[in-house]
Amino acid sequence: MNNIISTRKKVSKSKLNMWLWGWFMVAPTMIGLIFLNIIPIFQTIYLSLFKSGDFGRGNIFVGFDNYIRMFGDAQVWHAVANTLLYTLLVVPFSVVFSIIIAVLLNGKIKGKSFFRTIYFIPMMAAPAAVTMVWRWLYNPQFGLINYVLNRLGLDSVKWTTDPQVALIAISIIGIWSIVGYNMVLLLASLKEIPRDYYEASEIDGASKMQQFFVVTLPLLTPTLFFVSVTTIIQSMQVFDVIYMMIDVANPAYENTVSLVYLFYNNSFKYMDKGYGSSIVVLLLVIIMIITYIQLKAEKKWVNYM
Amino acid sequence: MKNKVLLLMLVFVLSLTALTACAGNKNTSPANNENKQTEAPKQTGKDSDTSNNKGDVTLRYAVWDSNQAKGLRVMADEFEAANPGIKINIEVIGWSDYWTMLEAGATGGSLPDVFWMHSNEIYRYASNGMLMNLNDQIGSSSKVDLSKFPQGIVQIYNFEDKQYGVPKDFDTIGLWYNKTLFDAAKLSYPDETWTWDDLYNAAKALTKDGVYGMLAPLHNQEGYYNFVYQNGGTIITDDKKSGYDDPKTIEALEYYVKFVRDGLSPEVYADSERAEALQNGVVAMGLFGSWNLAGFTANEFLAKNFDVAVLPKQAKQASIYNGLAHSIAHNTEHPEEAWKFVEYLGSKEGQDKQAQLGVAISAYEGAADLWVSSNTTFNVKAFVDMVKYGVIRPYSNTTIVWEDKAYEALKSAFGGKESVEAAAKKAAAAMNQSLEAE
Repeated sequence: MNNIISTRKKVSKSKLNMWLWGWFMVAPTMIGLIFLNIIPIFQTIYLSLFKSGDFGRGNIFVGFDNYIRMFGDAQVWHAVANTLLYTLLVVPFSVVFSIIIAVLLNGKIKGKSFFRTIYFIPMMAAPAAVTMVWRWLYNPQFGLINYVLNRLGLDSVKWTTDPQVALIAISIIGIWSIVGYNMVLLLASLKEIPRDYYEASEIDGASKMQQFFVVTLPLLTPTLFFVSVTTIIQSMQVFDVIYMMIDVANPAYENTVSLVYLFYNNSFKYMDKGYGSSIVVLLLVIIMIITYIQLKAEKKWVNYM
Repeated sequence: MKNKVLLLMLVFVLSLTALTACAGNKNTSPANNENKQTEAPKQTGKDSDTSNNKGDVTLRYAVWDSNQAKGLRVMADEFEAANPGIKINIEVIGWSDYWTMLEAGATGGSLPDVFWMHSNEIYRYASNGMLMNLNDQIGSSSKVDLSKFPQGIVQIYNFEDKQYGVPKDFDTIGLWYNKTLFDAAKLSYPDETWTWDDLYNAAKALTKDGVYGMLAPLHNQEGYYNFVYQNGGTIITDDKKSGYDDPKTIEALEYYVKFVRDGLSPEVYADSERAEALQNGVVAMGLFGSWNLAGFTANEFLAKNFDVAVLPKQAKQASIYNGLAHSIAHNTEHPEEAWKFVEYLGSKEGQDKQAQLGVAISAYEGAADLWVSSNTTFNVKAFVDMVKYGVIRPYSNTTIVWEDKAYEALKSAFGGKESVEAAAKKAAAAMNQSLEAE
């Protein structure tokens, strides 16, 4: 008995110290996560079961009524389709572009750091400001893009009001703004690939192209995995660009409204916070499913050195 | 050694958080602290004399129009001079953020002391007891007389026989036209004799050389609402049903959409593109509210080429009009000072001042004439002339919801993908659904 207590004491002293320091070090992040993310998630789920009253008062419990209404609401399904389509447009293009740019910038070219800065700038600029500039570029009458098209003898395109085009126009902004960030991550990962692999493959007679596919790409997969997971989640949550560009009165609204935008409109414009919450829970479920699939698929295609 | 480093880090981090916490307190709630400090003496001095707390009450006054802020500041300065001990802090927040801010303030119990109210939102705030009932104050005031204001506006801010706001101003919609283009086409300027046919013919004559004769955007207040009421139609009936399926309403919408479909107006949906089209000389005529006046006067192109006239008529003359009011938070810590300020703003003196400064068309009887002389660039008298046949902007408890539903339904008609009648019927159905849920 005595023996046990003394060993326990001994263990606990050093362990307690470690434990304390461990928790102390992660505490800022943990506290932030708990108060800013985890608690709100449960509050949102809780709120989605209510018909919300004004100013946070007089909420009426309605069970799953909000969800039943949501499943019958065509606009919600349009928003799901738009969000997925946007993700499908942004993720592959932005990843491919950022790989290409990263590889090019990793080579021997003049003004490397200049280009790196240029590509990273969209990430630093405020999305609202960026969208204002794009709105001008897309302007059907005075926009630069249509001006160039007209000069080339092509017809003007109604970038932001044509239901067939608007989502693509928005995706272009999305791709443009994320490429720089992904490029920096990939660039860092490229620097980590040991030169030996390239030298070895060179001796074996591999061309530059072959080197890229056999050496670079497989060794880049851990970062590619990270990049695609974060880009997908970010794309699923697209809001500010669409919010700034597309009004409810816009004919392309039905073809561009994203889940977050719909959530915003219901929660903060129509003051139906319960219904808005259920929409955001749907988004959460969709993102969770996609992320789960990705984590499962990770083993199939990601190579760790 | 390792422990020492860790200890040092710990001390450093802790002191840092302590520091930031202090700074945070100082930064985030200066107003609150001040309020609390001043609260105590005020409470004690309340019974004997309210004016003994000199120089320590600051009222938060929230508005959404930055164009008006400058003039309001002048008025606030005058009020401060006349009422030593009260400071006015004007907070300007843009229209859409304004309501988010107010919503958050109402939920969290930190509403500004005095703020602008709008017909779209009054019901929610009044029915939830977020505003101060001003019946007693108005009743015992010698300066504020509600009978001097247009009754339509007074009624908006009256909920269950309690007055929750003192009218501030009103606005009407005018027909803006490009004088230069009218001269070039040898057309006479629009006036009160104009009918829908005159408008249409003028738009047709002016549509050439890349310029559209008319701007008919998918917009309610500065757009088709005016025509609906001119035609004897309605948007919302007295018993809270949608008026979009009224044949008169549909007829007006058909007339309005025709401008777009016949190529006499560009297809404009975005709010910001409307004024842009006018300022860039793309359109020769357009409907814009009186609140744009400051912006339009400052625009060189508009000031040089444009003028404003009353709207044309069909079955009758009509222009959508609306008015703002000043409300006081239900839980303000300075109810008496806040009322003093609102009383000043709603008095003849304050209303005249507002008009003279050209801030907005004062709602007080007779003050509008002062406003007319504050602007010599445009024929702004047209806005005031339209009040006598003005129609209050349609509203109910969920205005914002059904306005958006109507836009969603009507845009297919604007794009020519659906007949106006079918789109209007859809709008009516969606609107009725929202009205039933009220």
